[in-house]
Amino acid sequence: MRVVVDQDLCGTTGQCVLTLPGTFRQREPDGVAEVCAATVPQALLAAVRLAASQCPVAAIRVISDAGDDERASADAAPSPAEPERHAAKDQRNPEGHDGTV
Amino acid sequence: MDVQETKTACRDAFAELASPACIHDPYPFMRWLREHDPVHRAASGLFLLSRHADIYWALTATGDAFRGPAPGELARYFPRAATSLSLNLMASTIAMKDPPTHTRLRRLISRDFTMRQIDNLRPSIARIVAARLDGMAPALERGEAVDLHREFALALPMLVFAELFGLPQDDMFGLAAGIGAIVEGLSPHASDPQLAAADAGSARVQAYFGDLIQRKRTDPRHDIVSMLVGAHDDDADTLSDAELISMLWGMLLGGFTTTAAAIDHAVLAMLAYPEQRHWLQGDAVEVKAFVEEVLRRDAPVLFSATPRIAQRDIELGGVVIPKNADVRVLIAAGNRDPDGFADPDRFDPARFYGTNPGMSTDGKIMLSFGHGIHFCPGAQLARMQLAESLPRIQARFPTLALAEQPTREPSAFLRTFLALPVRLNAQAGG
Repeated sequence: MRVVVDQDLCGTTGQCVLTLPGTFRQREPDGVAEVCAATVPQALLAAVRLAASQCPVAAIRVISDAGDDERASADAAPSPAEPERHAAKDQRNPEGHDGTV
Repeated sequence: MDVQETKTACRDAFAELASPACIHDPYPFMRWLREHDPVHRAASGLFLLSRHADIYWALTATGDAFRGPAPGELARYFPRAATSLSLNLMASTIAMKDPPTHTRLRRLISRDFTMRQIDNLRPSIARIVAARLDGMAPALERGEAVDLHREFALALPMLVFAELFGLPQDDMFGLAAGIGAIVEGLSPHASDPQLAAADAGSARVQAYFGDLIQRKRTDPRHDIVSMLVGAHDDDADTLSDAELISMLWGMLLGGFTTTAAAIDHAVLAMLAYPEQRHWLQGDAVEVKAFVEEVLRRDAPVLFSATPRIAQRDIELGGVVIPKNADVRVLIAAGNRDPDGFADPDRFDPARFYGTNPGMSTDGKIMLSFGHGIHFCPGAQLARMQLAESLPRIQARFPTLALAEQPTREPSAFLRTFLALPVRLNAQAGG
């Protein structure tokens, strides 16, 4: 699977680094998040998805090997649509700048 | 609660939160509000959200469905802004900005302030913790009461802040003395005298930071102020003087009264729930669980102090929030929403055992640091101070007990303390 960080969107909170320090790191000196390796082992899929869903600005995108693109949605309908929100796929910024290294 | 149970609507939740009953314990009212009027419209026109899902959504949608006030419309959202230094400073802080300005300022704060660099502060935080506890020990061991709030909970973040910002400790204590008044003046329902007191305090802080910036310009050190001054001098477009002062002012205000309150609440939780103290004797994962639960159950910031302005009509729970309305979020109510956290009034660190920071085992976000673009830049620093403090307090003073009931700051929107007198019990476990 591939993991990309939208570095224009990144809020530099470092939450992903605290969550999965082996997968994400903060660029020096500005603190923008980046992915440590271009591909991430499939065994980490659930953990990476969780980190993506927890990113305060939804800047993390997970591209599974099947090719589907997931990103925690930032602006879907408010409650009571929460379950749908998590399921929603955000296609707002498909050409977004990505931070894969 | 008897009176509130019979109400069909609350006229102004902000006024209610400022009542003596809510200062004593705001949670019964918050529960009522969340259950009966979760998208509350106050008499003043402000909206207040109190459900976890709605707050989470509003925080996430900030910068998108919600924006900060534009400079030209400050008077609309802060009628007294024209004459208030504090409100003008607040309007210039990063918390009131939208991208791309927000992004530019945020990157400056995060510069040289990454998780790795915060982690590098751990030894000096541990050293300050040990020194403050050593300082309290003689009086406690003589059987005297000590104000843990002033001697420890407030002193620790102040000393950490002084180190980070390169301030002499005496200057820091001088600045800190005026902060409570400033913060209170920023509450949406602050009285004119409260705002005047805030402005007097802000003027002193502004003058101090003006001098400090000059000192750091001529004699830069390895601290945040020097770094920001350097960013300013390298490229004046990057950070204006006004932005620099308001940024420092904002970090001073947000920086340590909240951390102090979290430490106070953590100590109160240790004393109230001795059966949960084992979490503090465990490893870092267990300590983290205790810390997160303290932050969830007793959010230091009850509701957001900065406006989130609706970009369009927004329907939420059957209520239409009109375009341009000022929306606030009652973070403390969201943290106690049973739809976010089961049995929410219960203090139960297990909800955060082995999870990502700020996320429960059910995958719900703890709201005390916010979410979205304005997520607290000091979150990890605060967490580290709590994690370094609590196990040491417990190990050093296992018979710690309340000497008197703590005194709370009479604030509608901050759950902070004036005093937390403690003593040692003569008999262990007594």
